[in-house]
Amino acid sequence: MFAFEFPPINEILRWQDIFPGFNKIALIAVAATVISVSLFLIAARQDYREAPTGSRNLAEISVEFIEENIIMQTMGRDGLGWTPFLLSLFLFIYLCNVPGIIPILQMPATARMAIPIFLAIVVWFVYNATGIKHQGFFGYFKSVLFPPGVPKALYVLVTPIEFISTIVVRPFSLAVRLFANMLAGHLLLVIFALLSEALFEARDKVLIPLGILPFGMLIFLTGFEVLVGFLQAFIFTILTAVYIAGAAHPEH
Amino acid sequence: MQHAVATLAGGNLVSLHWVESETTDTTMPGEMMMTTATPTAASAGVAETTGPNPISPEMKELQWGAGSFIVLFILMRLVLFPRLKKGMDARYAGIRGDHEEADAAKAGARADVVAYETALSEVRAQAATRIDAARQTLDNERQSQLASANSRIAARRAEADAQASAAKAAGRGQISEAVIAIATKATQIASGRTPDAALVKQTVTTTMESAGAQ
Repeated sequence: MFAFEFPPINEILRWQDIFPGFNKIALIAVAATVISVSLFLIAARQDYREAPTGSRNLAEISVEFIEENIIMQTMGRDGLGWTPFLLSLFLFIYLCNVPGIIPILQMPATARMAIPIFLAIVVWFVYNATGIKHQGFFGYFKSVLFPPGVPKALYVLVTPIEFISTIVVRPFSLAVRLFANMLAGHLLLVIFALLSEALFEARDKVLIPLGILPFGMLIFLTGFEVLVGFLQAFIFTILTAVYIAGAAHPEH
Repeated sequence: MQHAVATLAGGNLVSLHWVESETTDTTMPGEMMMTTATPTAASAGVAETTGPNPISPEMKELQWGAGSFIVLFILMRLVLFPRLKKGMDARYAGIRGDHEEADAAKAGARADVVAYETALSEVRAQAATRIDAARQTLDNERQSQLASANSRIAARRAEADAQASAAKAAGRGQISEAVIAIATKATQIASGRTPDAALVKQTVTTTMESAGAQ
């Protein structure tokens, strides 16, 4: 009745090099950095004494969003020193997510595992180093592996669970959450785009009007991906803040 | 008719999918067709159709992603964020200063209003005291003038009463004399004799007093 051919998964996710060693994912990652840096450079050139507009307004909103909605909610005033790191993390992830719905690009860089796993490893190093810095090597691992208030007999169960959850699983959960959400959104957009195309170009004319259904879904999911891209960046960043705060102040 | 197409790369199954065939051959419905993907991925534009597990991270993406993030973080930490934050803090400090100045001006204005209201109430109290004193003075003055006028009226009334009594007494004497004269004359005419003057006077006086008493 109609030809619907779902392309191989490699065709959807893997991109040929634009030049040797540099593909679309690398382009998006570099663009995310260039856009962030440009935004803040342009913002810094504006007169700070006047009410912020345009790029300065956007830059200040992003700073205040990180400070008020992430740091103050999870780390308190002591955590404001982490603003540059968390701001970089949020902007980079968000700008890597957004190209999933930008025509021509149509690929979130975080739907490939490289960037999420790198960021998760960075976060893993950061929160463990913070814990060791604040509590000392043995103090940190003692607070992680032997949480206070637990009956000693339960340490047989709790210690391995805490070791696996805090030391092993956290970076993977961070990376896989971001990667899987963005990959799923990307695949959904591909599926509904291909289904719309197949129905609109079906040889049986009766099927052509039905193409409006997947096409409508495609538009809805495109809007939804705007929210998902923001939400995943926010979740990754706030979890990072929670992990750092937990490592710095285990009593909280 | 439909065919199942399996794509192989290096002897491994890469994908399996149904395709619609233009052929009218009905002798082999649902025939399994084996195709081998070319290593250059010619069918997908810029995308590669073959390669390693698409989930596993690729080194070039890892390198560019890591490099980009590290550059962004370093620039953000050392240049971008401090410059922006410095301006934000300066503006917020200015706004806070303006707010504090406005609060101080408002407090000053409130103090001025309180001082004005206090002075106003003092002036009002003084004015009320003075008005009361003036009213009291005026009242006393009025009372004294009223008393003085009343005493003057009483004196004049007493004087007038005395004058009226004197005039009345004088009139009564003249009337009494006239009545005596008339009574004496009438008696002379009637009897041809002159009555006793003392008797006539006594009779007239007694008659007039009794008439006055009635």
